[in-house]
Amino acid sequence: MSAQEYAFTVLAVVGGLSAIAVVTARNVVHAALYLVVTLLSVGGVYLLLGAEFVAWVQILIYVGAIVILFLFGLMLTKAPIGRDTLDNQQRWLGALVGVGVFAGLVFLIQEAFPVQDAERFETFHATTDAVGESIFRNYVLPFEAVSFLLLAALIGAIVLARKDDAS
Amino acid sequence: MNIDYHALLPEFILAGTILLVLVVDVFLPERAKWFAMPIGLIGVVGSLAGVLSLIGAGTRESFGGTYVVDEFALLFKGFFLVTAVVVLALSLRYFREGGFYQGEYYFLLLTSFLGCVMMPSSRDLLLLFLALELVSAPGFLMAAFRKGDVKSNEAGVKFFIIGVLSTAVMLFGMSLIYGVTGGATKLAEIGVALDGVSGEMETLAFAAILFVVVGFAFKVSAVPFQFWAPDTYEGSPVPVAAFLAVASSVAGFAGLLQLMFVAFAGQHEFWVPIFAFLSIATMTVGNLVALQQTQVVRLLAYSGIAQSGYILLTFALVTDDAASNRNAFAAAVTYILIYGVMNLGAFAATVAVSRRHPTLGVADFAGLRETAPVIAVGMAVFMISLAGVPPTGGFWGKLLIFQAAIERGGTLGPALAVVMLVNSVASVFYYLVVPRQMFLRDAADPSRLRVPALVTAVVAVAMVTLVAIFVLPNVFARLAEISTLVGLGA
Repeated sequence: MSAQEYAFTVLAVVGGLSAIAVVTARNVVHAALYLVVTLLSVGGVYLLLGAEFVAWVQILIYVGAIVILFLFGLMLTKAPIGRDTLDNQQRWLGALVGVGVFAGLVFLIQEAFPVQDAERFETFHATTDAVGESIFRNYVLPFEAVSFLLLAALIGAIVLARKDDAS
Repeated sequence: MNIDYHALLPEFILAGTILLVLVVDVFLPERAKWFAMPIGLIGVVGSLAGVLSLIGAGTRESFGGTYVVDEFALLFKGFFLVTAVVVLALSLRYFREGGFYQGEYYFLLLTSFLGCVMMPSSRDLLLLFLALELVSAPGFLMAAFRKGDVKSNEAGVKFFIIGVLSTAVMLFGMSLIYGVTGGATKLAEIGVALDGVSGEMETLAFAAILFVVVGFAFKVSAVPFQFWAPDTYEGSPVPVAAFLAVASSVAGFAGLLQLMFVAFAGQHEFWVPIFAFLSIATMTVGNLVALQQTQVVRLLAYSGIAQSGYILLTFALVTDDAASNRNAFAAAVTYILIYGVMNLGAFAATVAVSRRHPTLGVADFAGLRETAPVIAVGMAVFMISLAGVPPTGGFWGKLLIFQAAIERGGTLGPALAVVMLVNSVASVFYYLVVPRQMFLRDAADPSRLRVPALVTAVVAVAMVTLVAIFVLPNVFARLAEISTLVGLGA
């Protein structure tokens, strides 16, 4: 195994285990912190693939901003923090479906992209240059659509979360 | 890299209107907040003029072929913008009198319609996905706009969680498609690339198609992914329910038509049985549950589910034969458009009644022939049309699907046609429940129902349109013929 493969194995195991911990954690704050670990290892995988811009964006935005906002949101909305607040009766059914879908997909993807011929997939080096050019040339319309989407989400969230004086 | 600005004109006008509504709302005093609606209305009409100016201008491509304006796109854009006019007209009184956040509502509604307008032009997976999200995300928020009502909160949360789940499933399928095709995102390229894969790769492609179809099945409320729809429609403000039942679900079908007939056309042997199952389950469950409904919005929700089943049936008719596919496609487009007209009409009549009876039980429609004659006649026409009985447009819609099914041949085509026929007959029973109340029962309060002029106008226009379609079916038949140009060559 090459150094890259060792690094990938470590990242995959750590990321996978903490992803399981996100959904099994009894405490919401712990879940959010496990999510940090998962997102960091995804960022690590991007680095291994040679997509350094995407990797840093992943770390800056997801780890730096989004999870922090989760934590702020939990505290500011005074959501019930603590044990057993997020539990329900269907966890075994959910686990069964999750494991089933996971096993099926692993099988299918493994068959379609066997590990032996990993050699034929060369690393694509996505530079910041290339990413920027692609976004603002061919994908400028999706980019604008996303900005409308985020604006709508922002405004709508304010309306719903706002405390009304009248009612 | 050149951008065809004329082809993007409708989107530009609508996007400008959205921002204008948002900014103007800040400066309006509390009692003039409703003024956002006329601004939005003018913008939508302007955008519609943009669409009309593109008719006959040929096929126009922008952004390297990812955004295409052709007849199919124009037909649906026009339909969505007319729907926007209707939903705006239904919203004015309802939101003005209900103490809602009006400026923000019109902003969200128009943003959703921007997604609708982008949908039929999106010929790229990424763009298609974003257009669909642009339709749904403001919908989650609008469904919860009756903030004081627990039912509305439930509507918003249920719609949000189901919507996010379906999005995740669909996006995962799309990512697999990207991998299998070696990095294709344009629908036409995917069609070509998928025809070239075989063996294990093809199996993975099938799984990916299944994921994408499941994602869309949630959006168009197909059984067994339908359970969010009745609760969401019932809890939402009624004009929002009209929007969700018509614009949002038609946008889902517009996306699905492009994916299935352009990108995944070569794999039809895999997905035709899936659609046959979805269609039969959706028709049957929708109609059976609708029989037991006593609340009109829930009745319309289950009727909408059953109607989705009829539209899904056309997907199950795809074969290797291009001519028969064209028939199925034309039937789907025609039915979708007629469905839009009759459902909008039914919701408009419901909005009219909701002013006196906010709970909207079936019995609340009693004696409507005296209290609001125009609405009563209109509602009767919409119900008859939804059941597919002449003399209404709904009859032609069903007949076209039925014909396409028979002409497809084999065992599947006629079998589906029979299931559809049985379902249509069963549906007559619940569609006639409301007219029976309106014409055979007396109202508890015989005074005239004050209906806003805009709502009456919508009901009247929809009613006349449906009867006109019945008398002049050629108009619609021709429209659908034009739109079959969409990528059937693939």
